[in-house]
Amino acid sequence: MEPLAPHEKIFVDMDILDDENHGGIACHECHGGNPDDPNWKTAHKGVKRDPTYPDATAACGDCHDEISEHYQKSLHATLKPYESVIGKRCNSKGVIGEKVEGAMGAHCSQCHSSCGQCHISRPDSVGGGFLESHFFKRKPPMQEVCTACHGSRIGKEYLGEHEGTSPSVHRQKYMSCDKCHTGEEMHGDGKEYANRFEVENRPSCVDCHESIYDKKAKNVITHRIHKDKTSCHVCHSQPYNNCASCHVGKDKNGLAFYKTKASWFTFKIGLNPLRSEKRPEKFVTLRHVPVHSETFDFYMKDALKNFNAVPTWKVATPHNIQLKTPQNASCNACHGNESLFLLDKDVEGKEKAANKGVIVPANLIPREQKWQPK
Amino acid sequence: MNYVRPIILVIVFSLFLIPTFPYTGQAYEDTQCFQCHTSAKKLIEITREIAETRPAQQSSETEGEG
Repeated sequence: MEPLAPHEKIFVDMDILDDENHGGIACHECHGGNPDDPNWKTAHKGVKRDPTYPDATAACGDCHDEISEHYQKSLHATLKPYESVIGKRCNSKGVIGEKVEGAMGAHCSQCHSSCGQCHISRPDSVGGGFLESHFFKRKPPMQEVCTACHGSRIGKEYLGEHEGTSPSVHRQKYMSCDKCHTGEEMHGDGKEYANRFEVENRPSCVDCHESIYDKKAKNVITHRIHKDKTSCHVCHSQPYNNCASCHVGKDKNGLAFYKTKASWFTFKIGLNPLRSEKRPEKFVTLRHVPVHSETFDFYMKDALKNFNAVPTWKVATPHNIQLKTPQNASCNACHGNESLFLLDKDVEGKEKAANKGVIVPANLIPREQKWQPK
Repeated sequence: MNYVRPIILVIVFSLFLIPTFPYTGQAYEDTQCFQCHTSAKKLIEITREIAETRPAQQSSETEGEG
């Protein structure tokens, strides 16, 4: 993503007036400020840089009422997964809860999005700046919006920017994020979900690949045998990025910072901690997430006193799908291949308890197969 | 019934005269917001002025991938 010069970030093209939907809305109607004041300093008093956050309905609701109302409960707005996971690890109200909440406000909640930060400008968390003047983009551009935030893992995986990996087969077919992640999914359906796996209209591989279990489909036997036993990613992902640790704090100027350890590449199959009717697979791909028992120590020692309540190896949906991968080259490329599975020895000592439910015991590793499908 | 056709014609033509949107773009061109934000020269001057006085927005202590 090309960086923008400071003036480019806020340059407005006169052609915005030709926008039949938004061209008739005066700047100050959404942003506030004084449009008649020639002094830019006083004119900007009370100006809202992003009038669509935190309340999406304030600027967009008059016309886009349903979308802006639903959006308030979408994961991009609520950041519910942070709250629910850190809440479980902290599991404390009172002073500890307040301190952690304050720390999350200073760090985690900076990563929200809004109508404006998808359709008009780059997200604030990556420096902001108009996507193209102040034009309203019906479809947010992938690299300036989606992968600008979801970059180090999803973006680089999808684009094949990690050394030794190829772009996703979907990328090779020129698909952008919205092909799977529709506007309806992004805007939310008005229900509040705890995480993306609960979202009812989230994409699923079989939405497009619906015929893989058909009698005449290619590899039908393999697909049928593994149906509901492994997630699609187990067979079709390449190795992916894993992150470790994360310590947050504020520097001497009061500015928030974070420090993470160097990320690493691996591919690990583990037990599905989110097994349900909708997600019945026993085996899923797991990714180590950037968290540490001392993440919030700057704010309060031992704030995450229930650190082991949630695994540090989390269900992953790597975005670097390939039809053929080393693990699906033959049955025994995976069956009996211990190195693909998250074993006890792969997990750091102090994280073993947290990951007890996802570590694959030796007796659950699928055995070598003598039979091979034709 | 001879008057029906002229009335319909008047209604149809009058629809073309009604603006489809309360479009007042011309007026907005004159606001200070527009005058400034559509001028790269002015924005360069102002953003330089801001850069000289505004303290750093991001901590230099951040390390690693987000």
